[in-house]
Amino acid sequence: MFLFDWIQAHPYQTVGLILPIAIPLILFQVLPLLVLLERRGAAFIQDRVGPSRAYIPIPGTGLRIRAFGMLYNMTDLVKLLFKENFVPPFAFKSFYWLAPAIPVATGLLTPALLPWFAPIAYQDGSAIGVLPGTLITTSSGLLLLFALGSLSVYGVVLGSWSSNSKFSLLGGMRASAMMISYEVSMGLSVLGMLLIVGSFDLTQIVDWQGHHTWGMFVQPVGFLLFLVSMFAECNRNPFDVAEGESEIVGGFHTEYAGVKFMMFMTGEYLHVLVASALLATLYAGGYELLPFPMPMFVDTGVGTSEVVWQWLDTYWIKAHLGGVLAVMLGMTGLLLIGFAWLIAGRRANYARQKAQDRDLRMREYALYTGAFSVLGIGMILGAIMSGLFLHTEPISRAGALAAYSVPIYPGWVDAVTAVIQFHVVIGKTMLFAWLFIWVRWTLPRFRYDQIMGLGWKVMLNIALVNLLITAIVAKAIGGGR
Amino acid sequence: MFHSLDQLLGSAYFALFALATLLCAGGVLLSKHPINAAVYLIGVMLSLSGIYVLLGSPFLGVIQVLVYAGAIMMLVVFVIMVLNQARDHRVPRFDGFSIVGAILPLAIAVMAVRTLAFTEASTIDPAKVRGEIGPIAYTMFDLTPAGPGYYLLFELIGVLLLIAVVAAVMLAKRHLDSPPVHEAAGEDGHAQH
Repeated sequence: MFLFDWIQAHPYQTVGLILPIAIPLILFQVLPLLVLLERRGAAFIQDRVGPSRAYIPIPGTGLRIRAFGMLYNMTDLVKLLFKENFVPPFAFKSFYWLAPAIPVATGLLTPALLPWFAPIAYQDGSAIGVLPGTLITTSSGLLLLFALGSLSVYGVVLGSWSSNSKFSLLGGMRASAMMISYEVSMGLSVLGMLLIVGSFDLTQIVDWQGHHTWGMFVQPVGFLLFLVSMFAECNRNPFDVAEGESEIVGGFHTEYAGVKFMMFMTGEYLHVLVASALLATLYAGGYELLPFPMPMFVDTGVGTSEVVWQWLDTYWIKAHLGGVLAVMLGMTGLLLIGFAWLIAGRRANYARQKAQDRDLRMREYALYTGAFSVLGIGMILGAIMSGLFLHTEPISRAGALAAYSVPIYPGWVDAVTAVIQFHVVIGKTMLFAWLFIWVRWTLPRFRYDQIMGLGWKVMLNIALVNLLITAIVAKAIGGGR
Repeated sequence: MFHSLDQLLGSAYFALFALATLLCAGGVLLSKHPINAAVYLIGVMLSLSGIYVLLGSPFLGVIQVLVYAGAIMMLVVFVIMVLNQARDHRVPRFDGFSIVGAILPLAIAVMAVRTLAFTEASTIDPAKVRGEIGPIAYTMFDLTPAGPGYYLLFELIGVLLLIAVVAAVMLAKRHLDSPPVHEAAGEDGHAQH
């Protein structure tokens, strides 16, 4: 009973206690989406059909649900879980078992430092409390993120060394040398952004971007350098020297099988996810909606109005929640209807063919078309409803709290705003993740010496010059201290 | 004994990190294989950074992870990996040098115990600890003439590190770039001097 009373009295604190469990769980749900995106993206770029075989039969209806290849994740999981958990007899046992856990651990810790929504100010008795958008609130958030990132190299190093195989060792040495090299240009390229904002705190960096413009427009060179360094840090193509089927078999995970291999793969996709989220946070405005202010007409008297350039920041969202929700839901609904239309087109294609399983597939596609149409129409109806009927007012305050400059809204407004902002971050993250996949299946891989030359002779120098110019400009414009 | 939950948790975490530091340090001393010792040393660095954070210096803790655990120990592990000898080479746990090596830590331990026993317990006021990133920056880069001038030391250390890097490059260049013929000629020339 005491617990329920406490939860009722402290709703925001309860949410603050739940979030550290909820956000990693939600990110684990994004992970299979990323794998699906990679599979379908690869098939799309290579003009293949892609994953289309695994299905769940629904008895009685004759339907087969393939869920666009999503079931391949499940079959992969089952396959890897039930494989023999083979440990080579020549391996250095302790580190062989430890290594796969390191990338997963660092990949799960780093999201705790990213701001997923704007800090929420709430009324806590006679005081103002703040629920931060990050799970760990520290003034040196970005540094801690880089520190954890630099620890993830140990997974590759220890895994390759303890396998006690020449291919593993070669892959691990190439990968670790590359990751150490690109950490230098990664740190230097992000310093320009930090100089302009004047803080290591990621929430402040996002807040600055919400009132000036996105980082990629302020620091285009730094953004490109950081993007390339992130590719190298994630061991993604064109920097995937850690493995190479034609040269060193599987690279650092040659001797790994089953669940241990799966953990390496999970770590890699987690790193892609975290790198995309970091790019979205540092250079694409994080949870902020737009990189520019919107013109708003404000009535100044009878029949006259004035144009005010308004940033769509968190408090504007909270004040105009109905409209923002209408736009977001409407866009999602239109996307869903477009998707349904796409599948209807596929179905029409099938109707003209004489494939063996034509009726089966047509029934499945009809189900998808119907479901997504209903979902999309529902979303658009919700958008219209929220645009017409949803109005938010800040809580009126008395006494000492009235002096607090920031408006405070009821709990449901905070919750809806946080969910919208979380979706904005995840949306930008998925766009960057698609960039990772796009590059992987488009560009050929670099040779090892080319990678080292690019890292030390080109990117490091550009990053240094960029930092110098940024420092001079920031001092000249901002004054600095 | 504990005034609040924060204090209780702080003490518990301090005990945890201190124990981890001591255990890992013991592991460094007692392991026979160099890579075991290196990984134990990483453990020491990580738990030390936890203690720094508890003492009100999150910046120092983060730098400890970034520089020592992330960069320097990475290089140590890398070198052990590259040296093929390390794989089968196991050193004896104790030898004659251990006696010499034991004296210094024992002396430090005696001094620490003496200091702890004869001074009053102090508490840390987080507001006064200059461990956050802002106070460190303002202290270090205080450019006023009356300031401590730490920035000069900082720049000088930077130059020193740069000199070390240039020296390392020069040493490596002499071995890598010069073809054998030139090497012989150089030695001849050296002999003439």
